[in-house]
Amino acid sequence: MFAKEMVKQSLPLLILCGIGGIVAGSALGIMIDLIQKIPGLIVVIPAIIAMRGNISTAFGSRLGSAYHLGIIDADNMWNEELKQNIIGSIILSFLISLIIGILAFITTVILFGTYFDLGILAVKLIFIVLIAGLISALILTLLTIIIIYLVFKRGYDPDNITGPALATFGDIITILCIFSSTLFVEVVI
Amino acid sequence: MIYDWKKIVKNGLPLLTLFVFIEIFAGQILQGQQDTLVKLPIFLISIPVINGVGGNLGSVLGARIASGLHVGYINSDLKDKTMHENLFTSILVGIFVYFVLAILIYLVVSFSNKQVGIVPMKFISVVLGAGVLLVCVVCIASIFTAFWSFKKGLDPDDNVAPVVTTIGDTLGIIFLFILIGVVGI
Repeated sequence: MFAKEMVKQSLPLLILCGIGGIVAGSALGIMIDLIQKIPGLIVVIPAIIAMRGNISTAFGSRLGSAYHLGIIDADNMWNEELKQNIIGSIILSFLISLIIGILAFITTVILFGTYFDLGILAVKLIFIVLIAGLISALILTLLTIIIIYLVFKRGYDPDNITGPALATFGDIITILCIFSSTLFVEVVI
Repeated sequence: MIYDWKKIVKNGLPLLTLFVFIEIFAGQILQGQQDTLVKLPIFLISIPVINGVGGNLGSVLGARIASGLHVGYINSDLKDKTMHENLFTSILVGIFVYFVLAILIYLVVSFSNKQVGIVPMKFISVVLGAGVLLVCVVCIASIFTAFWSFKKGLDPDDNVAPVVTTIGDTLGIIFLFILIGVVGI
């Protein structure tokens, strides 16, 4: 009884998430030249994706709980509670991005000792992570608010929708943010 | 007011920092195996798929176990029948999903005009092997995290997803390279 219900409800979503993964992976495939050029770039990718997933699903599930507690709803979205949540998520993203950049630089130098000018490599890696982390934070926070708004309007339970939706779009958006911030940093620095 | 940005940052920072260390470890494994990924980009494309599906299956299982514990139709006991049923279903679903997605990845890469550089049978064996190993470990980790949180009086819903996705990301990458070695590429 459990088995049948679980297969029926979760199989389509799993396949969809897998297809999202293929899109995300193909975006990674496009980056292969950049990955070869900048030591440490491949190291930050899993960390940024994981950070993004953790921070935005926590944001989404807090908004879900706030809805159940009656603190926010479709007619009363832009209040102080939502603002505190947004500020909290963005500051967390900034701090964690900084840690990722520094740690990726240090471990790469220790393990692989590059020919690169170390100062330039440190600046490049940290800026790539910071820009990618902050831009993806802004985009995904906005996306979460839009999803939550639509879910409220229709009267669905946000807990069932935001998690899977963020997991599917989050990875693709994050990888595209890493790709663009790397291109930007390569041009500027 | 219930939410305060300082509290959100303070609660989130320690666990997220711990996860960053684990993810950087996973990233360094990728960097060490970079030559394989450059030679056979099909494996780079597969990584988000393997990790994503593993994390999702583990989270779904964890959420189901959590609800079962809250409501009372699952007991915090390793011999619980309903828990076993959920575990085996998750693993079976995982085998099916990885098989379908492996074929799909191979087709996508073949049609995108790139040299695939590996025969379909070998590629599917690697993805299926790594995927099934990952699903088994992630599902067992998910059940243990749910049981442990429940015993500690914490809400399993808060803990299972982050633990499972972090374990999934790291082990997904490790299993992929183990299978590449075993199948011999």
